[in-house]
Amino acid sequence: MAKKKEVSQRGAIHYYLQSTSGIVGAVLLLFMIVVSICAAMGWLPHNPLDQNVDNLLHAPSSKFWFGTDDFGRDVFSRTLDGMRRSLTVSITAVSLAAIVGITLGILGGYLGKWFDMVITRVSDVFFAFPAILLALAIVASLGNAWYETSLAIAIVYTPIFIRVARGPVLSVKEMDYIKVSRILGFSSPRILIKHILPNVFAPIVVQIALSLSWAILTESGLSFLGLGTQPPNASLGLMVSDAQPLAAFAWWTLVFPSLFITIVVVGLNLVGDGLRDALDPARRSS
Amino acid sequence: MQGISTLRRLFFSSTFIRIASAITTLFGISIFVFLVLRVIPGNTITGAFGIETGALNPQQIAELRHYYGIDQPMIMQYFSWISSFLSGNFGYSYATGRSVFALTKVALPVTIELAFIGTILGVIMGIAIGMFSARKPGSFRDFGGQLFGLLALAIPGFVLSTAIVTIMANKFHYFPNSLEYMAPWKDPWMNFQQMMFPGLVLGIAVAAPVMRTTRSALLETIDKDFVRTALGKGVPARKVQFKHVLRNSLIPIVTMTGIQFGYLLGGAVIVEKIFAMPGMGRQVLEAITRREYATVQSSVMVFAIMFVTINILTDLVYRRVDPRIK
Amino acid sequence: MKLRKKLAVVGVATALVAGVVLVAPAQAASKDLVVGITLDIDKLDPQGATSFSTVRALGLVYGSLVEVGPKLQIRPGLATSWGFNATGTQLRLHLRKGVKFQDGTPFDAQDVKASLERILDPASKAAARANIATIKSITASGLDVTLNLTIPNVPILAALDGVNMAMLSKKDIAAGNIGKTVNGTGPFKYVSWDAGQSVKLIKNPTYWGGAPKLDSVTFRVIPTEASILSALNAGTVQFAVITSPLVAKQVGSNLTMYKTPGLAYMALQINARQAPFNNLNVRLALQCAISRAEVIKTAASGDGSVIGPITSPAYKSDPKARPCPEADIAKAKAYLTAGGYPNGLTIKTMVAPTQQATIAGIGQSLKSQLAKAGITMELDVVDDSTYVSRWLAADFGTAIANNGGKIDPDTMYTRYFTSTGNLNKVAGYSSATLDSLFIQGKSSGSVTQRTAIYKAISAELENNAAWVWLFAPLEYRVTAKNVTGFIPLATGSLLELRKVDMN
Repeated sequence: MAKKKEVSQRGAIHYYLQSTSGIVGAVLLLFMIVVSICAAMGWLPHNPLDQNVDNLLHAPSSKFWFGTDDFGRDVFSRTLDGMRRSLTVSITAVSLAAIVGITLGILGGYLGKWFDMVITRVSDVFFAFPAILLALAIVASLGNAWYETSLAIAIVYTPIFIRVARGPVLSVKEMDYIKVSRILGFSSPRILIKHILPNVFAPIVVQIALSLSWAILTESGLSFLGLGTQPPNASLGLMVSDAQPLAAFAWWTLVFPSLFITIVVVGLNLVGDGLRDALDPARRSS
Repeated sequence: MQGISTLRRLFFSSTFIRIASAITTLFGISIFVFLVLRVIPGNTITGAFGIETGALNPQQIAELRHYYGIDQPMIMQYFSWISSFLSGNFGYSYATGRSVFALTKVALPVTIELAFIGTILGVIMGIAIGMFSARKPGSFRDFGGQLFGLLALAIPGFVLSTAIVTIMANKFHYFPNSLEYMAPWKDPWMNFQQMMFPGLVLGIAVAAPVMRTTRSALLETIDKDFVRTALGKGVPARKVQFKHVLRNSLIPIVTMTGIQFGYLLGGAVIVEKIFAMPGMGRQVLEAITRREYATVQSSVMVFAIMFVTINILTDLVYRRVDPRIK
Repeated sequence: MKLRKKLAVVGVATALVAGVVLVAPAQAASKDLVVGITLDIDKLDPQGATSFSTVRALGLVYGSLVEVGPKLQIRPGLATSWGFNATGTQLRLHLRKGVKFQDGTPFDAQDVKASLERILDPASKAAARANIATIKSITASGLDVTLNLTIPNVPILAALDGVNMAMLSKKDIAAGNIGKTVNGTGPFKYVSWDAGQSVKLIKNPTYWGGAPKLDSVTFRVIPTEASILSALNAGTVQFAVITSPLVAKQVGSNLTMYKTPGLAYMALQINARQAPFNNLNVRLALQCAISRAEVIKTAASGDGSVIGPITSPAYKSDPKARPCPEADIAKAKAYLTAGGYPNGLTIKTMVAPTQQATIAGIGQSLKSQLAKAGITMELDVVDDSTYVSRWLAADFGTAIANNGGKIDPDTMYTRYFTSTGNLNKVAGYSSATLDSLFIQGKSSGSVTQRTAIYKAISAELENNAAWVWLFAPLEYRVTAKNVTGFIPLATGSLLELRKVDMN
């Protein structure tokens, strides 16, 4: 058993590297992660919050590579900082959703009966609930800090992870070797970890990549409605939303953040494709 | 004989279970939306009077609390709302002086029509581009198709919407959505014009996942033996694609379509806002701002009922279409 | 061949017709003005109207005893002449002859009495009740109305203007129809309200000021100002009030833009009853750290003017009469040290960006400026209703407020800065000096005297840094080029649409 897993893991990376989409996606994503780390460390030409009353809405120049916005702030620094914030919100949200969702999904699928029914019902309630209302409620009652936005997005995405995790568990549970293991008295945690988790791994990893990209777009939609990141902090979604009235005479305020959103979302989706190809032998496309 | 009746029993019971769980979910949603609204600060009085609430004396406030029905204990408020809702009385919208049912009667068809148009456009574009891409995997046209799919996914809806409105209005002086909204039975041509652009924006968002699902499903099926056999037998490639490949790839496409349609029914708030469409999304958002509890609660329930129904229907279609499940 | 050719011709013809239909903007044969609004009206009772859209729409249907003109002078409306008695405790008004309500019934002094009494009655929840609370009794006969006041109250005359002082028909009041039937004396008649979409008005041919040149006015709901501008450019909307400076910047030469100073003002409200703001030095530090000019430049794109507490034109405060007319970081830091915060402090500011377009910008500008003085401002962003409920409970340390101005400083500030004012809890500051000054201002009939009194009130408010008054934003009204004769009013009223023409 152990040998097989090793081979398949090595094989997975090997297959991933054979997928063009996977490689392109990984490069794009890596670029954005590096950019975010630079922003987090403060390695930016200007402070993203510094307002320069004399430099309002200047076109890209040698001093301000992406130009300045309506408060005289450097668009380049803000874009990079915005990337960092968008990724932070998205990663936090998806991690939370994944941890809670996978746990509940696996437990529900494995334990079955009442436990499963309650989890599925509660998950359906959240799934059918309009995301905007949920986000508004959380933001209105708790606040608009970035972690509250993450919480709102996490709650909306948890049902998907429950669903994705539960499916493979249900199908694997019925398999003979599992039934035998249980009859033989192997402890549940051991069965879970040795046999069930590896089967859940592939769809979860793909779902994580996809959800990360959705979360970034959701955050930008929430910012447009005033429910996401709050000024003066920069998130890509807020920058794009704020740029709507400015775009006609200050194109750089819209183009650069939009470009970065597009690149990171495209990157994440390509990585998801690559992972899907690598981890699921039946679905490998040339 | 026994086999068939057993099968029938099974089918009924699984449908029955499905409906029972749907009803449980709906009750859960009704409680959840009720509680969530009460957690948000502010109430119908501050929503209606704004800062002038400060000018009201305690007696006026007590009268208003009674008028808006918020002076009762929570449980009473919940039961009085849910029982009215179940008997068809969705509540009263104080700001507009209309019953929520009347408001929903006007707003719901707009949202349904928009969701419908968005889904159909999305499915057509998605399947077409997906097929286009899958025919020659790895080729330039495949790359183009995939690029479309990714861009359609990555560009935020509000950017696309604002761009369309600005260009159409400024360059072509054409902005049908700024005219009075016309229902399709009142003025079909104006209705078409008003649904066109928001439908397109929603369609593009739907097309992206549909396209990628179609492409990967097609590629998977094309590899299968029976397809090779058909091609080997001399059946023209296009016919093979349509008849065999597409039919077998339908399942994931149908599932995806169902999910997208259900999602769009939630009232694509951002699109409705920018294109001034008087749909459910705007109705809920404005009611939340005004803290009109009954309007929000009843509207959310209407949406939830539709969503759950769509899920059940998609499931049933899935079962009929999938040759493996019978 | 022939059939195909026929089909081709039909096809081309259809395309051409469709193209014309698509491209041609909706031109009406009659003079119909479409006004774009972002929010629907929320009631049909003019005396309870508080939201902008409701005030603007109903302001065209109803009339009040006096009106405020373009130079902010009080001029005759439904009353043609008036006078106070010697002690200022009685106001007599003589009404206009021959005025009819839109349902045909004549307007007389009994209608005025019934309308004013309705406003004074708490059960009607009229918005302007506090402004005329000094009315003790009303006598009406024929076309003469006498208001007997409990104390001398000269500002009450100015308070009689506006849609919240709408004169209603006594018949409608008695029948309990207010808010259901719409029947006024204004230049336009109510036709219908399509909830969430539009309000339609048509001209009132028997209007006392002469029938309007416009045949109809429709208020159409288009939720975002950017879309409203697009509609103006497309020609489907011909009039709009814009509040966002950024949208206003995009108005091209194909439209007519009116930029006028308004009475509304932006302020950083301070809750002086809450620590650390109960410390005068802290408040003064805030005042001195802020450059209002910079706030205007960034948050309002330069479209605004620095103001003092009073924006009423006749009694306007001198913005230079304050401890720090220009930002003085050194002085701010000195005040902080004197107040016991040599290393700066952190303050929280409640902000509701949805209330007004410049608020988000103001928050950002203030945060950045205060940081230079060592004050960390945490922006507490909430939605409108949350802001209101916390604001009323004075559950904030500081808040960015968009408050309406009035043409008389008494109606502007009595409710905030007198110890018995119903919004004093919110204002957070009062003093015996202010109380006595406000009473004097109310009862004095002499403009010279009142000028001195309100100058003293202004000084008291500024020297104690009760709030930090920022600026008065310009108001933008945009019309299509063919709309002529419009005069913007600083009160925000669109009443002058009664004189407007479309070519």
